[in-house]
Amino acid sequence: MNRRKFIYSVGMTGMSLPFLNANSAVTSAPKAKSVINIFLSGGLSQYDSFNLEVEQSVRGNSKIINSNVDGVRVSHYFPTLAQQMDKLLVINSMKSNQGAHPAGIYKMLTSYDPRSSVTHPELGAWISKRLTTEQDSLPNFVSIGKGSAGTAGFFPGQWAALPVKNTSAGIDFVNRNPKVTQSKFAERLGILNTLNADFAQDHSTKETRAYVDTYLGSLKFMNSKDIDAFALENESESIVRLYDKQEFSRSCMLAGRLVERGVRFVKVELGGWDYHDNIYGKLPSNASKLDKGLSSLLNHLTQKGLLESTLVVVSTEFGRKPEVNPNKGRDHHPDGFTCLMAGAGVKAGQVYGTTTKDGQTAAEDVLDVIDFNATIAWRLGIDPNYEEKSASGRPFKMANQGEARRELFA
Amino acid sequence: MTRFLTLLCCLAASVSVAVAQSADQSEQSQRIDQLVRAKVDQVGQDRRPGIDEYTFCRRVYLDTIGRIPTIDELEMFIEDKDPDKRAGLIRKLLHSKGYQSHWYNYWADLLRVKYVGDKLHHPGNYAQWIKESLRSNKPYDQMAHELINAGGPLYKPGNGATGFYARESMPLDHLANSVKTFLGLSIECAQCHDHPFDIWTQKDFYKLAAFSSKTHLRVDPTANLEKKYAKDRRILKNKSFDEWIVYRESVRVKHAAIHGNGTGFMRLPHDYQYDDGKPHEVMEANVLFGEMPNLNHKVTKAELDTLNHKNAGPPINSRESLADWMVSSDNPLFTKSIVNRLWHQVMGTELVGPLGSLSPDDMGPHPELTEELVAIMKASRYDLKRFLSVLFNSRAYQSRAATLNADGPDYVLDGPIVRRLSAEAIVDSFLSLKTEDPDQYVPTEFQWDGFTHFYEKAQKMNVQDFVDYSIKGPGRAAFQKREEKAAKKRNGDMGPKHLWRVSTYGHVDGSHEVAMLLGKSDRELIDGANKEPNIPQILYLMNGHLEHEIMSQPLAYLHRKLEGITNPDQRMEVIWKAILGRLPKASERALVAHEQDDLIWALLNSNEFRFAK
Repeated sequence: MNRRKFIYSVGMTGMSLPFLNANSAVTSAPKAKSVINIFLSGGLSQYDSFNLEVEQSVRGNSKIINSNVDGVRVSHYFPTLAQQMDKLLVINSMKSNQGAHPAGIYKMLTSYDPRSSVTHPELGAWISKRLTTEQDSLPNFVSIGKGSAGTAGFFPGQWAALPVKNTSAGIDFVNRNPKVTQSKFAERLGILNTLNADFAQDHSTKETRAYVDTYLGSLKFMNSKDIDAFALENESESIVRLYDKQEFSRSCMLAGRLVERGVRFVKVELGGWDYHDNIYGKLPSNASKLDKGLSSLLNHLTQKGLLESTLVVVSTEFGRKPEVNPNKGRDHHPDGFTCLMAGAGVKAGQVYGTTTKDGQTAAEDVLDVIDFNATIAWRLGIDPNYEEKSASGRPFKMANQGEARRELFA
Repeated sequence: MTRFLTLLCCLAASVSVAVAQSADQSEQSQRIDQLVRAKVDQVGQDRRPGIDEYTFCRRVYLDTIGRIPTIDELEMFIEDKDPDKRAGLIRKLLHSKGYQSHWYNYWADLLRVKYVGDKLHHPGNYAQWIKESLRSNKPYDQMAHELINAGGPLYKPGNGATGFYARESMPLDHLANSVKTFLGLSIECAQCHDHPFDIWTQKDFYKLAAFSSKTHLRVDPTANLEKKYAKDRRILKNKSFDEWIVYRESVRVKHAAIHGNGTGFMRLPHDYQYDDGKPHEVMEANVLFGEMPNLNHKVTKAELDTLNHKNAGPPINSRESLADWMVSSDNPLFTKSIVNRLWHQVMGTELVGPLGSLSPDDMGPHPELTEELVAIMKASRYDLKRFLSVLFNSRAYQSRAATLNADGPDYVLDGPIVRRLSAEAIVDSFLSLKTEDPDQYVPTEFQWDGFTHFYEKAQKMNVQDFVDYSIKGPGRAAFQKREEKAAKKRNGDMGPKHLWRVSTYGHVDGSHEVAMLLGKSDRELIDGANKEPNIPQILYLMNGHLEHEIMSQPLAYLHRKLEGITNPDQRMEVIWKAILGRLPKASERALVAHEQDDLIWALLNSNEFRFAK
């Protein structure tokens, strides 16, 4: 057994995990070890980003520019990514059955429609639960961004994402209050141990012991060198200079840094795409964030040799209508939107699926969100039909009824 | 409603008149104790010892009003010479402001009070309805009946029971939720298929759903009214996004409502797969068990079967009959379920079974006790404070807490168990250290929010007024903000937010992040709260804001109590009483030399602080 301990997850419950034999979790030789999921909440306009092969009226103010791949053209709002299209697979035929934000986001992240009788785990929680082994010292599901969350659904809380709301602050409260010296802190812990030992004499239960264990886990976590993974100031100059200073770019850098340390699923959220009005006034600055951050991340992963083993997924809950409305915005449109993939052997430099030219519906190679999620799981070597039961004993599959679309990979 | 009143009257007549008197109550507490003792003796377990005054005081504060006593409250109780002081404290607490604060958290979790993003559903009025029901100690059967049968405008002050339907307006999901909430019964599987192990079939489910068929949430004005608004909506939509959306939303605040009250018929789904029915076949309303209420059908199933698939018959107010059946004292699950819930909340164990999956016949490990508690609830006429008072005054409640372990006792219904405090109780207990009057800012009357406030204003607004309001208005985000601000002004001084109890936070105040970290329900699911540790939570407790708020903040009540105390033993006593609600033990005396802030830190992080014993 590896000397490195499983600090995070053991600490979470104080109970041992249902350990998975690494082999049993795998149905095919995994091509991806990790996933970075850039999630564009609000609904990215496909016709102002990566699906320009539609009638001119549909493209609104977006101008077509060529990319570094023949035949792949993007909107002029993404000039930097245009030079990286050889690393990206564009999927233009995404389809969801949900047209409102909360339900659409829920569907995209969990593969299920929201119901009031059960909450489903996000894909990151499934992957973390399926792939975590005793050797892992960092949590395998990390969620970066303001208001970041990653629900464990009906799984125990330990499988929820570790949230990092802000890359400069890092993990909330992971550092000792600076006014409390190391020795003072040790003294406090000494008193706490005395009190807890005394309480345990007559009142020891599974729950009280879980608390004692989680304190131990938290202390190990505070003191472990794994915390360094979250400290961007320790990143090497050759990587730091790939990025600009914007928070989204820094979030991408952190995601790369975590994947380098073996974290399985990192979600980075970039919101604000819900432009029902004045889309061309509002979109450019957000597009620029994505353009630069994602480009830098692709360079980062390439430079570190991690792109072959990391599946980068850019997703959104739905797209936007082909018509620009009277308020110069675009409304929700779940039939025929766009997502991107890179790395892990994906057919880079290609476009998969189409919409009709009028932009109204997905046309060729329609890819439902559940199949999209099944494909991600499959690429990590996990059977998308993998099943777990909720507290009431209802069985749920990892990607609902989704089937992996293997042809997305070379 | 008439039918419900009749029901209540019959019930009242059948029960002896003197139920509310405390002699009866103490008799009922004693009956619980007799049953418990007999069972303990029968299984050969030791009788649990009683608890001392300190333990009782902390426990009963937590269970009635959801926070630890302040040091003054504790000392006052300890010094009280009245031999009947425990009963006195129970009475006092049940009638204090803290009661509605604590029990609101419980009901809000059960009833899933939540702000849900961009669907027009703002839970302020719903929350206020629950709080008002607790303040007036509305009988539970009446409360449940009002929730199941609620209709009309969502934001009309006082009509907040509609929030229950609005919170889950998909009819079948709503039904499954209602049945789980009020009957403790899990039938959601039967929504889509016959359950392999359960007795309920999909057909049963649809027959039950037929009571409330055609009930729906509509946020826009009804078709007739809608015509009056439509023209201006079109004009505004093409003119300005902001004006259009303010118009739409403000009109909705006035008109959003629950419509329809049941036709008594429902059709099987298009993909019905069993032999006992055909897709789209009409189902006539029927109950799962017990007596079927009379419905005044205006058409027959046979007539409807010949009509269009969408036709479920004319409205006949059958949802009210569903409510009658659900809350009837003859319903074998209604009373048992609430008794099971309250026992679980107060003692920590399941009296009958899992809160959300009981069966009509199950009486739990001690059927006589369940039967007695059901009888007490009925005799209390669903007065929850009265029922709780009977529980709190029992010896069983006032006995030592047991630990549930593999080698623990077999029979655990003889008293409470050691269990973690709810997230809200932990956060509100911090308040008992920060201020001498932690319940000071618990509101005692209806609190307005932007929606109820605007609803009222909108009663005098016609179509042109809405247009004016939207055009002159400050735009989408500011629309809500402006009305919220006006509502706030109307409520008067609410006190500083850092001295509010968790229950006072409304949908405009943001979620209480510390309470969330400690496991407060996100109110997605019924009973969504959890009491598990996790690393972010522990990091907060060790390194978070408590450091400033309680340990080093000179204005914190605990610090003011410690001011001027130089004797270390005395200082230790104050800290122990304030945080743990007891005196330091002899074995702890050695800790006296530590710094004050280190002791406070350690006690706040200790298991004894966050577990009830």
